[in-house]
Amino acid sequence: MDFMKLALNNLLRHKVRSILTLVGIATSVAVLFSIISFNRGFERGLTEEINKTGLHFMVVPAGCPHEVASLVLHGAVTPKFISTTILDEIKGITDIEFASPMLITQLPNKDKDRLDLVHGLEMAHVTAIKTTWKLDGVVPTTIDGVILGSEIAAHDGGKVGDKVRYGEREFTISGIVKQTGSQDDAFVYMPLEALQEIVEKTDGLTAIGVKVSRPERLEDITGELSMKVPGIQIVTMNEVMRSLGSLANSAKVLSLSLAVIAMLISAVGVMNSILMAVFERTQEIGMMRAIGASRFDIFRIIIKETVLLTSVAGMVGILLSTVAAGIIEGFVRSVMPYVPSGKMIHFDPWLAVLCVVFSLVVGVLSGGYPAWKASKINPIEAIKG
Amino acid sequence: MIELHGIEKEYTRGSEKVHALTGVDLSIESGEFIAIVGPSGSGKTTMLHILGCLDQPSRGVMKIDGIEVENLPESKLVQIRREKIGFVFQQFYLIPGLTVFDNVTLPLLFSRKEIDKGKINSLLELVGLASRQGHNPNQLSGGEMQRVAIARAMVNDPEVIFADEPTGNLDSENSEKIFDLLKSLHARGLTIVMVTHNNDLAGRAERIISLKDGKILNQ
Repeated sequence: MDFMKLALNNLLRHKVRSILTLVGIATSVAVLFSIISFNRGFERGLTEEINKTGLHFMVVPAGCPHEVASLVLHGAVTPKFISTTILDEIKGITDIEFASPMLITQLPNKDKDRLDLVHGLEMAHVTAIKTTWKLDGVVPTTIDGVILGSEIAAHDGGKVGDKVRYGEREFTISGIVKQTGSQDDAFVYMPLEALQEIVEKTDGLTAIGVKVSRPERLEDITGELSMKVPGIQIVTMNEVMRSLGSLANSAKVLSLSLAVIAMLISAVGVMNSILMAVFERTQEIGMMRAIGASRFDIFRIIIKETVLLTSVAGMVGILLSTVAAGIIEGFVRSVMPYVPSGKMIHFDPWLAVLCVVFSLVVGVLSGGYPAWKASKINPIEAIKG
Repeated sequence: MIELHGIEKEYTRGSEKVHALTGVDLSIESGEFIAIVGPSGSGKTTMLHILGCLDQPSRGVMKIDGIEVENLPESKLVQIRREKIGFVFQQFYLIPGLTVFDNVTLPLLFSRKEIDKGKINSLLELVGLASRQGHNPNQLSGGEMQRVAIARAMVNDPEVIFADEPTGNLDSENSEKIFDLLKSLHARGLTIVMVTHNNDLAGRAERIISLKDGKILNQ
């Protein structure tokens, strides 16, 4: 017999109440752990993804930087276009390694009776700008070949060699991108020229991705380009990263605040639950005082109950968020405007320990008052009932 | 062993001042078996609580083994309760969910003493529950629960056991058994002070202290 066994016994005497309190605190810890894990994964994924684009900056029509950022990384349909003539002006600047034009739009897919997101690009640049892709099949070498994102391919049951039709043109599926976990999975990738013909915008581009051969001259190059071409916006990858990073940071602050509020509500729940248990056991506490328990002993028993409850809840919360990482990640992906590809939530043992310690601290704080209250119970009054 | 001189106890109930004990003088010698009797509200339980260092008198002097206890700090009173006193209550107050064995060892936990399994077994044998030590209180009868409570009161080797209506919740057969158990403990040299409404049992104690309106009528 020890204090811990006594505390555990007290919790087990009201299983339903203890479990409900535990679930509350476990959920809060799970949310907290998931948010912090996700944010870390987001920052890491963002850096990796931008580093892997193989581009140094994007040239886009003047507009919203967030739109641009989304466009840069995974394509987005914008109502503005830049002229293909800009491409020649870019290529005319010293130290440009390559400039990759792209057109992103929606095309009606009459066979499937829906609108498809189509990304037109120079197929010769695919390996340079989509460095994370793994393909089933090959990059098309002719104007009538397309690449499908994994999601759209899976949805339509499309296979390499199958035909798809947009407008009056028929295309052969040359390759299917293996799942990236990003918006890339939902796109159809088509040779730029073909897409321009279909949408009758032979002079229109959504963006131009640029790689320079001497990155140390990036500032000079972008400055020169801005001077030369009016009505464009140049967004470097660092700016994209900053822009998305600050967006993610705002989301983190908001969700962390919510998680902390949830934790506080759970702490009040714990306090209420333990306080109820103390009131119910008034006579028993009086008896314990009579048979030799000091005020501190009583305080100790109650605080141990709370700490036991919250630390187990903390561990359950970590387990919960680890098991449900996929669901949580899917949910966050659905509400965030941009999430890098790959797995965001990674199990970090130190973070897990930190979250359990945090729930333990919450336990001590929320158990303090009931424990103090219990230690103040007058044994005479308690025994009299 | 225990001496009371001019003990008074007052408390307020609402706006009314209640004199629970008025000028009680009493001396309890080691090894006595005392029954405290009296009508409800006569101050029996108050006196038992003061004797058991659970409550402090408003006035007067109380000595246990020569030590004045009325002005001792709470920590010293806790120490006296751990070392010298065992309590038995009318409602048993066993902790549900803990086995008979664990319930008996509870005072050892508060006294920071090691559990001596052999000693607990002998205690449970003494109260006739050696075979029930793994059972939970809800598997025991009222009489059995009170016997566990007596074993619990004995575990710290007290000098005196204070029993507040120990047979109050029991039928006559079990009341007899509990009383016999207390008698057997007394026969082993233990001091027993028992509050009771049962005049028959009180009559079989060595000494009867009658209380009325907070005063001792005879002792």
